[in-house]
Amino acid sequence: MQHITLIYIVTILVSIAIAFFLSHVARMSSQAKVREGAGERHLSMSLLDEDALKKTISDGICEVVESKQRRREISKAVSDIFANELEKRVELNTQELDKKYNSAMEQKTQSEEIAWKKYMKVLAGKKETDAVIRSIAEGLLVVDGKGNVVMMNPAAEKLLDVSKNDKIGKPMLENIKKEQIISMAKSTSGGKDKEIEIFSEEDETKKVLRSSSAVIEDENGQTVGMVSVLSDVTKQKELDLMKSKFVANVTHELRTPLVAIQKSISLLLSKTAGDVSSTQEEFLTLADRNIKKLSRLIDDLLDLAKLESGKMQVKPALTTIGSVIREAAVSFDAWANTKSIKIEERVQEGLPDVNIDAQRIGQILNNLIGNAIKFTPHGGMIIVEAVSNNMKEIEVSVQDNGPGIPKEDLDKVFDRFYQTGERNLSDISGTGVGLSIAREIAELHGGKIWVESEKKQGAKFIFTLPIIGE
Amino acid sequence: MDNKDIKILMVDDEADFRQLMTFWLKSKGYTVSTATDGKNAIEIVKKDPPDIIFLDLRMPVLDGLEVLKRIRRFNKDVPVIIISAYINDPKARELTSYNVAGVFYKGENFEDALPLLETALRTHRKLKK
Repeated sequence: MQHITLIYIVTILVSIAIAFFLSHVARMSSQAKVREGAGERHLSMSLLDEDALKKTISDGICEVVESKQRRREISKAVSDIFANELEKRVELNTQELDKKYNSAMEQKTQSEEIAWKKYMKVLAGKKETDAVIRSIAEGLLVVDGKGNVVMMNPAAEKLLDVSKNDKIGKPMLENIKKEQIISMAKSTSGGKDKEIEIFSEEDETKKVLRSSSAVIEDENGQTVGMVSVLSDVTKQKELDLMKSKFVANVTHELRTPLVAIQKSISLLLSKTAGDVSSTQEEFLTLADRNIKKLSRLIDDLLDLAKLESGKMQVKPALTTIGSVIREAAVSFDAWANTKSIKIEERVQEGLPDVNIDAQRIGQILNNLIGNAIKFTPHGGMIIVEAVSNNMKEIEVSVQDNGPGIPKEDLDKVFDRFYQTGERNLSDISGTGVGLSIAREIAELHGGKIWVESEKKQGAKFIFTLPIIGE
Repeated sequence: MDNKDIKILMVDDEADFRQLMTFWLKSKGYTVSTATDGKNAIEIVKKDPPDIIFLDLRMPVLDGLEVLKRIRRFNKDVPVIIISAYINDPKARELTSYNVAGVFYKGENFEDALPLLETALRTHRKLKK
């Protein structure tokens, strides 16, 4: 009977021990993250639990078993079971921790390797970019939001005649020579392409730089700086100027003898120098007509030179558009007659006077009517019309019934020097500048010019003149 | 005052322009004499002072500027219109301190010379009064 009681007690105690263990295991497995030193802490926890457990068990044994000998036996048996179980658990835990630690270390090493590789790649990329930036012929300049220089390449140093070491982290304008300040200020005030003139005090030369700038924005759209690309256009500018001067000089030189010829002919035709026969008069008239054409061509070139140097001036005065049209149309009568072309004027009644330079507007009309005569077939008709539109403008148009202009050329006819193979659309003198001058004149008057045409249906050139004070 | 009573001196080494302009001015009724170089021009101004002078700027030996300087030494007020083949001739700018009535560009129509001529004569007459 005593034996059965002993087995009974031992079974209860073992059950308690196992229950403790299970709760302990449950707590352990709930800890997800593996941390350094975690395993150690687990072990000390279970050892603490073990002491408490031992005490509880031996207290229980003391209560039910009276014999000391028996108590020791039971205690030992329980301790053995307990130690065995503990050993197993610790080993399992250690293995698990080892595994987790190893995999964590492996992962760490892998990500370190990846990071290093990425770093090396970025470094190589940066070196490459640096090399490219260093070696490009264009100057590159980066300033931050406060206008302090962040970066500049050797070309920029050379072009701006400054040293990078003096400039990085400092405002661009600091310590720059007086003359340069003005132009740099212009160039850093933002936006698009600019031309910068830089004077060197040492050799008294002038450099012209073209700067294209772009604003650098952060992800919120805030301006954080600006990047500028500088290129030296001094040579190009010099050539442009030389070309303009050359054209101006040559055309002036051409005009002097031309005026002499024109004057001689008109003196002969006026019979101040004596009588001329009717045949002589005919030839003199022919010469006179052609000299006028030549003269118009040279005037165009002179105008072009003026436009290029920005010297084209408009002297506006209140003018009746009808009279300008009349004058232009009449001057072409003789030429139109040779081709039996009729020039019809259709001027709307009651048009208000416009503030225009009559001579310049006459020049547009001469150009358009001249073109129209050139391309209108024998016996055709040209309509010169003036009407007011609902935009407070007067619309003046010259319409012919010539071969028309292909659609793809409509935008190009006003481009300087533009000519098409099929039809020289530019002007009667064939330099390709007439229509571009016409456009400039229309724009100087605050108007615009365009052409409407269908192939084989003729062309209609239209320009507008604003009505002032309406 | 009749055009016939107005004596013009035309000074230009370039024959074509000189002849043509002279003929044209004569056709307008003026009395015109000519000089082909600066030395000759100065002599004429000394001997028979004209009412107005057309003086070419670019001439060999004595250029227009030098001729003008020398004329101004003995004749301070005869109106002088400079003629030049070059528009905006930088040399023409130097002349402003020598009492010049105007500059006529050879490429311009002859008719444009008339207002210059008339204004210069009118101003001169007013000053004399």
